[in-house]
Amino acid sequence: MRLMFFDHLASAYRSLRSSRGRSLLTMLGVLIGVASITTILSLAGGITSVVDDQVTALGNNLAIVRPGIQSSNLTSISSPVSQTTFSTSTLTEADIETIKTVPGVESVAPIMTQNATLTTSNNSRDNTVVIATTPELATICGLKARDGQFIDSQTDANTAVVGQQLAVDLYGTEKPIGRTFSVRGTTFTIIGILARLSDPVNYNNIDFDTAAIIHLEAGKALNRGIAQIQQINLRAVDAANLADITTKIEAGLKANHKGETDFTVSYGQAVAAPTSDLFKAVVIIMISIAAISLVVGGVGIMNILLVSVAERTREIGIRKAVGATNGSIAVQFLMESLLLSLTGGFLGYLTGYVVAFGISTMLYFAPSVNWQTAVAALVMSLTVGLLFGIYPAYRAARKHPIESLRQYH
Amino acid sequence: MIRERKSILIYKMKEGKKPQLVIELRALTKRYGIGDAAHNALDAVNLKIEKGEFIAIMGPSGCGKTTLLNILGLLDRPEDGDYLLDGEPVDSISGRKQAQIRAEQIGIVFQSFNLINRMTVLENVALPLTYKGLGRLKRLEAASTILKNFHLQEREYYRPWQLSGGQMQRVAIARALVNKPSIILADEPTGNLDSRSSHVIMEELSDLHRQGNTIIMVTHNPDLTSYASRVIHMLDGKIASDTKIKVKFSDGDDAVKIPLNFHTKAAVASAEDAIAIEEKPVPVKRKKAKASPATKRTSTSKKSKTPGKTPKRRVKGTPS
Repeated sequence: MRLMFFDHLASAYRSLRSSRGRSLLTMLGVLIGVASITTILSLAGGITSVVDDQVTALGNNLAIVRPGIQSSNLTSISSPVSQTTFSTSTLTEADIETIKTVPGVESVAPIMTQNATLTTSNNSRDNTVVIATTPELATICGLKARDGQFIDSQTDANTAVVGQQLAVDLYGTEKPIGRTFSVRGTTFTIIGILARLSDPVNYNNIDFDTAAIIHLEAGKALNRGIAQIQQINLRAVDAANLADITTKIEAGLKANHKGETDFTVSYGQAVAAPTSDLFKAVVIIMISIAAISLVVGGVGIMNILLVSVAERTREIGIRKAVGATNGSIAVQFLMESLLLSLTGGFLGYLTGYVVAFGISTMLYFAPSVNWQTAVAALVMSLTVGLLFGIYPAYRAARKHPIESLRQYH
Repeated sequence: MIRERKSILIYKMKEGKKPQLVIELRALTKRYGIGDAAHNALDAVNLKIEKGEFIAIMGPSGCGKTTLLNILGLLDRPEDGDYLLDGEPVDSISGRKQAQIRAEQIGIVFQSFNLINRMTVLENVALPLTYKGLGRLKRLEAASTILKNFHLQEREYYRPWQLSGGQMQRVAIARALVNKPSIILADEPTGNLDSRSSHVIMEELSDLHRQGNTIIMVTHNPDLTSYASRVIHMLDGKIASDTKIKVKFSDGDDAVKIPLNFHTKAAVASAEDAIAIEEKPVPVKRKKAKASPATKRTSTSKKSKTPGKTPKRRVKGTPS
């Protein structure tokens, strides 16, 4: 038996076309739902790929040691500031030395961050990130000095490199070389300005554009001589050896930490995982909210189809009288529902991207275009169409032919 | 031409064989309403219809003609009694199979046209073929051919509401005939037509009858019974009278009416050119008097018709 797929499709198309305005409005519900989800997905994909791209751009031979055990449970996301921010880091200076001795490690840079108020003669900036590190950070993270130079082994302990935005905020100029600021009573002289990176989201969780970078020793001095190392970045000579190097580092650090694994060594895409996990959670929440609008759209479809079934009772009766089975009546109405939801979904997908690209002009990343989003849009509209089409289709199929024919209008 | 030859062949085959029972109703009852308001639209109707019969059902409004037709067309279910279609009880046929029978075996012409206004005339006519599983092009071709027979070819792309009542009825009949059903159920097929268009349609039905199809027609017009091979009068949900007529195809003007109790002699007398030969008397036959006025009316009205309107097709169908 030939499937009457195209017959049903053509019939559904014509019946929707005959009430164009109504069909378009119904479609709008699904369109908005799918559009919002597409926007969220593409922007989220964009932001996640920003971090991934950074890791890839740095040559993929980057590994990161972080204190604590990384877990991707959602409780850490539900609190606005993760607990590890306030806890004492388990990483020590001895760990840096241990990592340096592992063969295959090219360079190591610790990152010790402190939130401080930077004060100049006539200005001050609260909550500024002060990074205490070693000169290797510049090569590992690909930091470039726009003006002056990065801190190195020759420079004084009280010299600093500042991000471009910080320079503008503090001094009102992009070229404040030689000017000074003070942190907790210690005065630093600016010897370099970083080139603008414009990526506040990165694997270091630091926006270098608004940060000040000082020597590790100077940082320790600000923290009563204790190194509070948030993260150790290291670069391997060869990316192929990373797995091996990671194992050795883990073994070395475990020995340092009296046999306790209270740190995490990650490399490759895993570096971006904490950031990605956070975004995934946020995205899931946002999508769930957007899905409500999709459900509303689905209910709209169901509603209109029920009206349509009532209006076309007579037609159903006629079709049954000339040989339509209950199944083919059901399929006919289901097809209308699917046509509405799939067309709405397709238009929503396009609209979603238009909106996403519109929003991205105000952001520092582009929305990602990938097949997953397209498939998600397709699956969502299919599901909505099927789910909310079944009931009207069932109602239509169950109509009694003679009672249907008796209905006049 | 092929059609004609085929019809001749069917008659020849039929002559020797015992007629085949297509429809059998046993104490069929259809009730409407509940409790005090209950009323039997059909009251224990017994009926046997053979293959190739052309039955005209007559009777006043509300006597259950349409209900009977709906049940015969598998559109409605009786409350009581059995309906055997081709020897098989309809109750035991699945809904899917029933739909298939409606699509392939039964053509229904409704009293109120029942065309879909959203579709063109051509698509309306082609609709039953969709459920038969034909491709779009074949469907439209077949629909176009049949519309041509009904002189509606130039109206193919009109919508039903743009047509006159008579034209709509012709479209409705064309739709019922498009899938070449073996049983045709017609509820007042010429109720809205002028005498010329009625004639076209009755000729078409008559032609189908000659090809061996079973036709059951509800009508108020006594003239039309002259085309029938059997006239059933209904009253209050019961069959009041059942009369078989001997139809001579060679001459349309003298349809001879034979009351059933005389059928044996009459059948023997005109065995050569009679096509409807009855084998049994029909059981329910309450008011014989009821049948006789109809007989008179039929014969008189027949005479009043002009001889020129008899189309050639009728002549061509004559077995020589």
